[in-house]
Amino acid sequence: MKLEDIARELGLAELTPEVTDNREAEIERGYASDLLSDVLAHAPEGGVLVTLQVHLNVIAVASHAELAAVIFAGGRRPDEEVRAKAIAEGVSLYVSPADTFDVVGRLYALGVKGNHA
Amino acid sequence: MTPPAIVHRALAEGLGMIAVCDHNSARNAAAVQAAAGARLAVLAGMEITTVEECHVVALFPDAEAAQAAGAEVGATLGHVDDGYESFFGEQHVLAADGSERARETLALAMATPLDVDAVIGLVHAHGGLAIAAHIDRRSFGVIGQLGIFPAEAGFDAVELSRHVAPGSPEEAAFAVHGLPIVHSSDAHYQSDIGAARTIVHCERPTFAELALALAGARGRSVGDA
Repeated sequence: MKLEDIARELGLAELTPEVTDNREAEIERGYASDLLSDVLAHAPEGGVLVTLQVHLNVIAVASHAELAAVIFAGGRRPDEEVRAKAIAEGVSLYVSPADTFDVVGRLYALGVKGNHA
Repeated sequence: MTPPAIVHRALAEGLGMIAVCDHNSARNAAAVQAAAGARLAVLAGMEITTVEECHVVALFPDAEAAQAAGAEVGATLGHVDDGYESFFGEQHVLAADGSERARETLALAMATPLDVDAVIGLVHAHGGLAIAAHIDRRSFGVIGQLGIFPAEAGFDAVELSRHVAPGSPEEAAFAVHGLPIVHSSDAHYQSDIGAARTIVHCERPTFAELALALAGARGRSVGDA
């Protein structure tokens, strides 16, 4: 499913409308973790990350892992410095008021799978 | 943030003692001490990132102990790669006059694989003080990362950021952990030096006196007393 369709289905708020390249990307894989060393080791390239961490290191890791998007759960929002860096790196940021478990569950129901599916 | 600039700013702010605590490294502490000379007390330290992504401020008796601890921490880290510097900047090792001595290639901005207990053990093994950094902050503070304050971990003090005023009700809420409270600027930029400070009641600005003050020993103390 395309990232923009996922965002619409999950009712995600888009934080980086300036990043347009990822909207049509087909998202097949996802990862959920709040420890960045873990994300760095396991997040699937081209996938989406669901996390609570909103600090700058998240963008560094997302960029390094070549993720299409980061979805912040629990309504957590990054500050402007982080958003600006995401734009510069071409990483799309979204936020959901739902908690991580629900966000991941709904992604899975839409066909986005993890590394072991 | 060259050593002379740090010293100049600290003196302008009326500080009697500062600690240099780079992320996961102590390689710049001695240079700042040399730049300060007798004008300003400078403690050698580090801010270590645990595997749980908690920050621990470590202060050491001298630069040698800090360097030894820093080498142990560094041995757990990976190296920088393409793109690292665009996020985290260039990692300079500077001389006392501010000139560049070396470029650090370890990825200091990353978390170590050491958990909170291991980091505190490492710090204490080198004669240092382990302080739970900015516990009022959600990111990288032990309470935000672990959910509860780890009362048995062996911290020597807790640190509050500039966002909590000394003497405020917010500060009092953190006294419940039974540990002395220090306030630090956590300055990442020169202009932040002095944004927060700790009053230490002691005989002279040294590591040994600070250790006594945090322990509340021999009449030394921190904060309003």
